[in-house]
Amino acid sequence: MRRVSSEINRRTLLLATGAAGITVRFGRSATAQETPSGSARVGVGEDGYRVDERANVGFYPLNTNIFESLVYMTPDYQIEPRLAESWEFVEPGTWRIVLRQGVVFHDGTPFTAEAVKYTMDRIAANGGGVLGVGPDSTVIVDDFTVEITPTYVNMRMMEQIGHPNNSILPPGLNPAESRNGTGPFREVEYVAADHYSVEANADYWGDAPGVSGITFQFYPDPTARLLALQAGDADLIVDVPAQSADQVEAAGATLLRGPVGSYEAMYFQIKGEAPYDLGQDPAVREAVSIAIDRQQVIDSAWQGNAEPGTTMIPPAILGDSASLVAAPEFDPERARQLLEEAGWVEGEGGVREKDGRALALTIINGFATAADHGSVPELIQAQLGYIGIELEIIQTPDTATYEQRLTVGEGDLWLERGSQNDGNPAFLPELLFSTPEEGGDPEATAYGRAFAPGEAFDTEIARSREATDIAEVQEAAAQAMNIVINEERIVIPLCGFYRLVGHSEAVTSFDLHASGVNQLWTSLTMAE
Amino acid sequence: MAHSTTSAQTASPPLRRPTATLAEEWRPRRFASLRGVVRDRSALAGLAILVTVTLLALFASVIAPYDPTKLDPTANLAGPSADHWLGTDNLGRDLFSRLLYGARWTLGAAGLAAAGIVLLGVTVGIVAGYFGGLVDDLLMRLVDVLLAFPSIVLALAIVGMLGPSLPNVLIGMVAVWWVDYARVVRGLTLKVVQNDYVLSAHCCGCGSLRMITRHVLPNVIPPVIVLATLELGALMLAISGLSFLGLGAQPPTPEWGTMLSDGRLFFLGAPQLMMYPGIAITLVVLGCNLLGDGLRDALDPRQRRR
Amino acid sequence: MFRFVLRRLAYLLPVWIGISLVAFMLANLAPGDPARLALQRELGRQPTAEETAVVREQMGLNDAAPIRYLNWLGDALTGDLGTSYRTGQPVLDSLADRFPTTLQIAGFGLLLAIAIAIPLGILAAVYRQGPIDHFSRVIALLGASMPSYWVAYLLILLLSVRLGWLPVAGSQTWQHAVMPALTLGIGGSASLMRLTRSEMLETLNQDYIRTARAKGLGSRPLMLGHALRNTMIPLSTVLGMRFAGMLGGAVIVETIFSWPGIGKLVVDAIFDRDYPMIQGFVIFMGTAFLLINLIVDLGYGVIDPRIRLARR
Repeated sequence: MRRVSSEINRRTLLLATGAAGITVRFGRSATAQETPSGSARVGVGEDGYRVDERANVGFYPLNTNIFESLVYMTPDYQIEPRLAESWEFVEPGTWRIVLRQGVVFHDGTPFTAEAVKYTMDRIAANGGGVLGVGPDSTVIVDDFTVEITPTYVNMRMMEQIGHPNNSILPPGLNPAESRNGTGPFREVEYVAADHYSVEANADYWGDAPGVSGITFQFYPDPTARLLALQAGDADLIVDVPAQSADQVEAAGATLLRGPVGSYEAMYFQIKGEAPYDLGQDPAVREAVSIAIDRQQVIDSAWQGNAEPGTTMIPPAILGDSASLVAAPEFDPERARQLLEEAGWVEGEGGVREKDGRALALTIINGFATAADHGSVPELIQAQLGYIGIELEIIQTPDTATYEQRLTVGEGDLWLERGSQNDGNPAFLPELLFSTPEEGGDPEATAYGRAFAPGEAFDTEIARSREATDIAEVQEAAAQAMNIVINEERIVIPLCGFYRLVGHSEAVTSFDLHASGVNQLWTSLTMAE
Repeated sequence: MAHSTTSAQTASPPLRRPTATLAEEWRPRRFASLRGVVRDRSALAGLAILVTVTLLALFASVIAPYDPTKLDPTANLAGPSADHWLGTDNLGRDLFSRLLYGARWTLGAAGLAAAGIVLLGVTVGIVAGYFGGLVDDLLMRLVDVLLAFPSIVLALAIVGMLGPSLPNVLIGMVAVWWVDYARVVRGLTLKVVQNDYVLSAHCCGCGSLRMITRHVLPNVIPPVIVLATLELGALMLAISGLSFLGLGAQPPTPEWGTMLSDGRLFFLGAPQLMMYPGIAITLVVLGCNLLGDGLRDALDPRQRRR
Repeated sequence: MFRFVLRRLAYLLPVWIGISLVAFMLANLAPGDPARLALQRELGRQPTAEETAVVREQMGLNDAAPIRYLNWLGDALTGDLGTSYRTGQPVLDSLADRFPTTLQIAGFGLLLAIAIAIPLGILAAVYRQGPIDHFSRVIALLGASMPSYWVAYLLILLLSVRLGWLPVAGSQTWQHAVMPALTLGIGGSASLMRLTRSEMLETLNQDYIRTARAKGLGSRPLMLGHALRNTMIPLSTVLGMRFAGMLGGAVIVETIFSWPGIGKLVVDAIFDRDYPMIQGFVIFMGTAFLLINLIVDLGYGVIDPRIRLARR
């Protein structure tokens, strides 16, 4: 059994960082080899596949490259043709897509517009998703041309359709029962909660995989995953928690850092009722946003495996417009000054007060799970303490409780992590911060009701939705983010996380994508 | 958790009968053989451990050099030094101080839970055993219902529902663990009630409350204490297990189970984060087990035939 | 005999109903909309109101609670425990699938516990009050004092990483089962050892044995064999307790070792508010335990006439 060094060296953080500097490599490693080498064992997280009518075995949340979508989102968040060769928008709301020819599914079935219609109809039956497709939206023009008209005008459909959830299935396929796709790998075996093994597809239309097969092993516990790498049970492990990154080197393996794909941010509620109404004061919001020492959070909580958050969503997706979103400054002195000027003077035990009321805030930690945030809440608590704000940390056990709390608005700061998995730059801002309509479902509009900045923001979002040129979309999205981050100080970005992967010397190259579900495994190669 | 049935309890046969519960073997006796405990060195060791840790917990604020929640981001994951005897954790907090304060939280939580469990279990057991009839029926059926699941899972479900916090974990523990005590105490109560001299006392006009306090309780309390000591260790492990899953004490509380859970991600790079609280829990639970074992040995009439 | 069985069943029926009530209430008293939560988990983002409405209807969440209870109970009696919100699989299938998997490590763990406990117990009894007695007692207790997840990581470190004897996690081969079983077994061996020791002592002290020895008859093995046989009866009851304890302890062990058992299933269900799974689990396990209880009771009833003729 191939083994990495089994020495466990106890290092201080400084030494570990130094070692990391030597062994860490960014993005891609050596060039991929031409001939497929051996088989790889990849340690992934838990088995999250569904087997009901929304079955997604093989493509979400673990994308084993058995299926493909019409387009592919590159690591730079641009979209590239995949099963679609070209597309154009036809007024008033139709997308006319020309499909690639000469593609076959693994069982030999030719890929035609039938498959696209089947897939889109299936998505429509399950609610339509963000695409907004309805039961009659997809029309077959001929074998290799299809027209999709979502139920509302969706200029961003092509960016969204690249998400693995929209992978193209052959007509009649139920992914719960069998997997038959067009991708570079074909399924060998799926044992639920244990492993998923695939082999290279010899008849693939595109670039051949670098390995002859991959076995994805499910390890729900991240420490066990790391131990598996160290013991040689796995050649490569994904989703290394940022706190454990230096242990990858300590185990004798190599740490790969991918581009930023996910973020951590706090949202300040601006429409709360007492006692959660301090967010209504812009001075308090501004003070909080500049009192956060992001670098300290990154160093202490994430062992340096993130960069200070600026735009919340990955900067790469905003393209050149990313610079429109100003980076938040760290200025605790000015924060104190702002509070003083607003009437918050130092009181008991260093906590500021005004008119007999203490400057006490509550932070809710629990999206997607509290564990996602490690020790960040405590660091924030300490940092806000330096400027005289008392912070209470409340942890919710799961997303349901978190959302429930948000619906009733019981909290000031809301700590969240999220990731960007499709090509629409304005997707997250629109979803979270658009002003909701009156009388909507309370839970669906909880975010909007707590955080929506208002008209200026909504205008930019509308612009991003209707723009035809991707550069304009990026610019509108960037403007929207600037409003919610720097003008209104509702969103306080904390960090942008590098995607972390660890591998042994058995792996010779691997291109890491910022978005986990869009990972292509064809670039993986193993030593002979 | 046991699943032996109520029917097996009421009979007291000369046949070899499973001795899983103390009820069958306990005969109301005094503490004549407490001396046995003193002679048993392991039990003494257990007692010593418990006493020491309790003292440390009580005087934590005096002994601990640092505030256990004080962050020091410049000293993350430092090794042992003159400043920090056991080093620091990933946020620069002093591990020694956290361990000391953790003793308070862990022992306190277990103690409170045990108190609640004993109170509830003894009350239900005495009521069921003394009054019998429909009350007994209903209560014992409730007991059977609760015994139908592995206790950890039921506690988990309750805490998951209520929300993660140490008080909720205690509620969950009390709601699930009282059943053993109820059954044992019920059996004991039944025995006492069936004794002739007790029956005659009743005839002489002793009221129920007097009967219970004067006759039932003295016979019930000693085995309950033994059982409680024996289970205290398991209780602590269960509480720390729930904390490990994220349902118990919340950060930055330095409860040992929470510290173990926090230290999980640093297992390879800084194993001391898991080692110290792990050793601490093991030591205290061992102490409880040793003491409980010794008590049971000393008070178990069969063992006295030596 | 027949009346005995009937009486037992009559006693157990309300208990079973109680269990089903507990099952139903537990899941439903929790906050949160399972439809939204299920979608959230699946999509990785907040779902739109339309998507949620579709799923709410699919899940049958729009009916009133008592109706849902009766519907659920009726289905349960025919073997339909609903479909999991999380995976979309039928609950009974998942439970029936994963229960034996947990039984594997619990059973294996029990065997290991016996393998550790009985020799230690015998030694402790035979050389009682000696250093071996004390030593083995402390060792067994030590095993029962360590938190299971701690033991798990230590075992992985030692047996997988350092020595390379066993794989870290997974469930394909019997080697994958060793560490989870060992983790469970270490905790359970203490009380088993204790029992073995005291039962052995009990038997060894009995008059007829002492007489036999005084007469110079009987070698050690004969005595030990006889003593062991007598130990089996009470041992089996404690084994039942330990087994139940291991099923509980499996919850944490299964997560760490990627062992796809029922413990991890239910923990995930609790965290995900997967109501059908939580309800299904409670009723499933409850029924299983009740059945075991019934069989044991009937067994006692067959063996001991006084039991079945007693008033209760």
